[in-house]
Amino acid sequence: MADKEATVYIIDLGSSMADCHNGRVEPDLNWSMQYVWDRISTTVAANRKTWNIGVVGLKTDKTDNPLAEEDGYENISVLREIGPMYMAGLRSLQEKIQPSSTDTGDALSAVIIAMEMIETFTKKLKYNRRIFLVTNGESTIDEDEENMADIAKRIKELGIELTVLGVDFDDAEFGFKEEDKTEQKATNEGLLKQLTEACDGQFGTIAEAIAELSVPRLKPVKPYKSYEGPLTLGDPKQGAMSIDVERYFKTHKATIPPASNVVLRQGHATQSGDADAMQGVQSGGDFAAVNNIRSYYINHPGGPQGKKDIKLEDLAKGYEYGRTAVHISETEHNITKIETTKGFAIVGFIPQDNFEPFVNMGDSCMIVPQKFNEEASIKLSSFIHSLHELESYAIARLVIKDGKEPILLVLAPHIDLEFECLYDVPLPFAEDVRSYKFPPLDKIVTVTGKVLNEHRHLPSRDLVETMSEYVDAMDITTYEMDDDGNRTQEYAPIDDLYCPTLHRINQAVRHRAIYPDQPVPPIPPILVKYAKPDEDLEQAARTRLDDLIETAEVKKVPPKATGKFKRDKVVPRSGLDIDALLKQPEHKRAKIDSNNAIPEFRQILDTSDNENVVKDAAKQMGQVIRDLISDSMGDLNYDRAIEDLGVFREGMVDFELPNVFNAYLLDLKKKILSGELGGDRRELWWMLKGKGLGLIDNSTAESSTVTPEEAAEFYKK
Amino acid sequence: MSWHHNQDGNEPEEDEIDEDVYKSQKDALLFAIDVSKTMLKAPPASDDKKADTDSGLTAALKCAYQVMQQRIISNPKDMMGIILFNTEKSKFTDEEVDRSYGYPHCYVYVPLDIPSAEDVKKLKSLVEDGEDSEEVLIPSKEPANIKDVLFCANQILATKAPNFSSRRVFVITDNANPHMDDKKMNEAAAVRAKDLYDLGVFITLFPIGHKDSTFDLNKFWNDIIFKDPLAELTDLETVLESKSGNDGLTLLKSLIKNIDSKKTPKRAYFSSMPFEIGPGLTISVKGYNLFQKQAPARSCYVWLDGEKAQIAIGKTERTEKETERDVEKEELKKAYKFGGEYVYFSPEEQADVKKFGEKTIRIIGFKDRSLLKFWMAIKKSIFIYPSEDGYVGSTRVFSALWQKLLKSKKVGIAWHIARKNANPQLVAIIPSRSQSDENSGTPYLPAGLWLYPIPFADDIRTGPEVKVVRTTNELTDKMNKVTGQLQMPRGLYEPHRYPNPALQWHYKILQALALEEEVPDQPDDATIPKNKAISKRAGGYLQEWADVASEVLAKHQEGKAVKREPDDEDSEDARPKKRTKTATASKKAGEDGGSAMTDAALKKLVDSGGISKMKVAELKDILAARSLETKGKKAELIERLEQWAE
Repeated sequence: MADKEATVYIIDLGSSMADCHNGRVEPDLNWSMQYVWDRISTTVAANRKTWNIGVVGLKTDKTDNPLAEEDGYENISVLREIGPMYMAGLRSLQEKIQPSSTDTGDALSAVIIAMEMIETFTKKLKYNRRIFLVTNGESTIDEDEENMADIAKRIKELGIELTVLGVDFDDAEFGFKEEDKTEQKATNEGLLKQLTEACDGQFGTIAEAIAELSVPRLKPVKPYKSYEGPLTLGDPKQGAMSIDVERYFKTHKATIPPASNVVLRQGHATQSGDADAMQGVQSGGDFAAVNNIRSYYINHPGGPQGKKDIKLEDLAKGYEYGRTAVHISETEHNITKIETTKGFAIVGFIPQDNFEPFVNMGDSCMIVPQKFNEEASIKLSSFIHSLHELESYAIARLVIKDGKEPILLVLAPHIDLEFECLYDVPLPFAEDVRSYKFPPLDKIVTVTGKVLNEHRHLPSRDLVETMSEYVDAMDITTYEMDDDGNRTQEYAPIDDLYCPTLHRINQAVRHRAIYPDQPVPPIPPILVKYAKPDEDLEQAARTRLDDLIETAEVKKVPPKATGKFKRDKVVPRSGLDIDALLKQPEHKRAKIDSNNAIPEFRQILDTSDNENVVKDAAKQMGQVIRDLISDSMGDLNYDRAIEDLGVFREGMVDFELPNVFNAYLLDLKKKILSGELGGDRRELWWMLKGKGLGLIDNSTAESSTVTPEEAAEFYKK
Repeated sequence: MSWHHNQDGNEPEEDEIDEDVYKSQKDALLFAIDVSKTMLKAPPASDDKKADTDSGLTAALKCAYQVMQQRIISNPKDMMGIILFNTEKSKFTDEEVDRSYGYPHCYVYVPLDIPSAEDVKKLKSLVEDGEDSEEVLIPSKEPANIKDVLFCANQILATKAPNFSSRRVFVITDNANPHMDDKKMNEAAAVRAKDLYDLGVFITLFPIGHKDSTFDLNKFWNDIIFKDPLAELTDLETVLESKSGNDGLTLLKSLIKNIDSKKTPKRAYFSSMPFEIGPGLTISVKGYNLFQKQAPARSCYVWLDGEKAQIAIGKTERTEKETERDVEKEELKKAYKFGGEYVYFSPEEQADVKKFGEKTIRIIGFKDRSLLKFWMAIKKSIFIYPSEDGYVGSTRVFSALWQKLLKSKKVGIAWHIARKNANPQLVAIIPSRSQSDENSGTPYLPAGLWLYPIPFADDIRTGPEVKVVRTTNELTDKMNKVTGQLQMPRGLYEPHRYPNPALQWHYKILQALALEEEVPDQPDDATIPKNKAISKRAGGYLQEWADVASEVLAKHQEGKAVKREPDDEDSEDARPKKRTKTATASKKAGEDGGSAMTDAALKKLVDSGGISKMKVAELKDILAARSLETKGKKAELIERLEQWAE
């Protein structure tokens, strides 16, 4: 997909790189390596065989390079030959990046070695060739004008892009100047700058490169063609419109790196114990991938646990129609697929004003004329311009390939100076729309059908007014400053919106790979820039907002009052007092009927006048649940028992009787696990656990004697 | 979510968010249909083709049949059942009726369950062929007691769907006064109705009205119907009466229309969502998925060696990849692939990495709607509606915001986290018009606000390089004639006119196979363009257009042959851009603004040095129009343009 790459990093490992400068507390080497590691780890993350990395150490104690025989190549070591880079390579490289005890070594010689390495590796093949030189410029460079010119010439010939990044090099554009620079360094800066200029390379201060790291990098993806063929209007066999077009993704959700299931390799587990306990010292090699193996069974009363395993080869393909299995034989496997022919046909046109963006069902594509087809280009252009002039959109039916399901799209014209296309987004079908009803927002209709325009749920004129002023004050259409300091640019334009999760995970993973023993770094501010309104904007709109808050009179609903909580009295449409009816002798319920337990339990609580009544209801409910479990054939009554238990728990929370419920649940757990309730009921216990129906802790109900930790503990055993 | 995602095997659609964790997110729907003499009475014979042919009962059963077929497609895990009442026969289960709980004149016709092919077949032969094999459609001499009907529903729902998050009873009857004003019987029924309410079951009444009288709810049913606890505060739960001749519809169509509007249980996608309109002003809203892509269910494995075909249930076992050692669930860890190995985070760290704050919709400002370009689309939108649960006064504030956005053609821009640990998304907040608003392009959608996800820079793809050969005025005019002729009905795209042909065909075939019927050979596909009508309306214009297109092409190719190197000045008068929109085209910083400078003019500007007087915004537009990098300081931008000009 992407081009082949060969990159050599030359790293200055001189003893002076171990010092800290210019107010930094980090040694220069570590500081500079931030940038290098970030680049290298990005390559590692890509996991591409065709992206190759070599590393050369400058000012090393030893000399180890192909030109070592020659003069002037001392104290330079090839730390890593060019080749694809994986985690293991990254780790072994990390060990080698240590400051040496010397400060001699010629940077230019190192560049020559890097050039040789690249030349040997890439031969004449197509490669992106790069050399990065990271140095503090504190050692003598052989200053030979002619030699320099030769090197520059050769770099250009080889097609290498040279980037020099200096520790505290002066950079007027970035706005950095080192005041107490050594003469040596100043000279070297000049030399290196001269070299980069001569070979069209890049020259900069490392601080700038590090600063740029915080800007997320976008991963380029090659254009993906989702359709190629005619766009038609009418029946093409009868001289209708037919334009050869190509359709490409315009937007497509970038994949957020997923976490995989892994296991600690056996052997490691015993040595290092739990992986969580040894976080930091883990090495990636300790984990192994996990394979998922699907197997199948059927419910079979005769089998063990009512199940029977079936081999895949004994199964046929089919579909569910409701709860009926419909078998489709091998020869008919396409029978339920609609037969379609590839095509892209206009269905009709709508005025642009009648399209709302929120009806789109997914990402957008662009439609352009077929390559090198001028006829198609002219024809499509007339179609695009027609939509534009008549302020219309087209509705079209697309089948991307023979046999694929038809989809409906809306097509919009786009005209720019040198570019034209149609954009499309998918539309919903009848089945995709849910017809939920909502009352209107601008009026209230009463039971009698009267229309009210004033109501506490409708905004007053004042509220409409203050809202309008606030919205205008918070306008960011042209809030971003241009370089002249005027607010003329769109704030939060789409090019500045980086997917927070995607880049956050990449950042954390790369960081962990390079610095395994460090905690997860904080979120880069650029990823949360648009999580809040801009502070200046907020300040400017503050008085408008205060007016709005005052007019709106919004009040937070207080957390549920504790104590004897009763639900609001519920009456049917007629307003009939059913609670009163229930108190009459003929409707009065003496005992909770196990067949109608939930309503009756709730009704007792609603109408109770003292705690004893509630406690008695709790006791009865508890018995109902135990009976349900004891009488259950297999898991038949489990769902019902769970539902009853949920209602029971809710009631005890409302009535601040957590301890009544907790005592019951502790006892129920014991009974379930001991097999007292009609046999092995452990599956029910797992289900309860899964549903989170546990002890009521004192964060839920104050008077509970159970702490949240104890509540969590309750499920562990 | 569009179909491409499935192709790439990307993230699956997010599920509805669990509110009550111990509930199962399913729906159970029980029809209770009255089989009285009046329900059975056929409408008077008529020569009018549009006249009613269905009795109240047939209409009700046809509705139930249609709902059952639809639910198999749209809610394959949900249950449905049918009770008939006022029947001569009584039945609760297939076994002997439980002595202590008899429900006289109640007949469980389709037991509550996920529908099976047999259920569909049984209903089908009943409504289409009038085959009443169980001889159940015989009205009882004495009417059923409604309290028994309700308790029968109670028992079915409490045992078969105990922990479903949504359980409903649809009562269809034409009798407004079933107990003839008997107070005791009415009260007993009211108590049983309250039981259902307390059980968490919601009753919806679909009264069938007769020609000469209206259905008087005050006689009895108003004691039975409660307000839906999930309904909006300002919603009055009107009871929809179905009647022959209502809105010119037959009784059947009128009933279908009313049932359709209630058939999907209203489930919130999220609730108690804080909506921060500004720092210090928060209201509460609920979110709804009003769009949900329906696709055929995936194929499954079937075991055929038994008496009856049975669906095989899959389970997953895990092994370590290299050693093939079995792995227990507790052993599993989550790690990220990196450079051929894995990078591990503890569960706490993992949560920390993905944590971007609490769930919220937080407005960061407002923009002109025109900045939201057509192509900035990435996935479906979520509908939001105010709720007073968290903040009293939410509804009025929401309404004020909604009115303002509509009036000023603005959208809100907000940071949105749908639930704890969900991925943050930037959304545009767009108002939808009132359904009564004549200007609404979406009269089938309610009024409210929409959370419209904005793509990230990461989600934008670059297209291929394209060399444009432009149309001419004459050619565009020809196309305009075509475009003008082929407007959609009412100028709208109305989804209900377009059932998904692939989905419908899939289930049609499955149904035929399941019911052992003949497989149809031709699918209905409303999405196929009406080529005959197109040809009739615009065939002539299309021909003219094609002719002119050939001329333009010939001229263009001739021109190219004469002048190898087209002069830049020449391309300027090729065609004035955007004729009709010149008035509105004077945009501020939009992509169509400064970029509209021709190459020749730009070269002049560069040569004269005038380029340095231009604003950064303009420079960026010009760069963007030439697909050049637009980032950097002003000097860099100018430099880049200078390079380009060379």
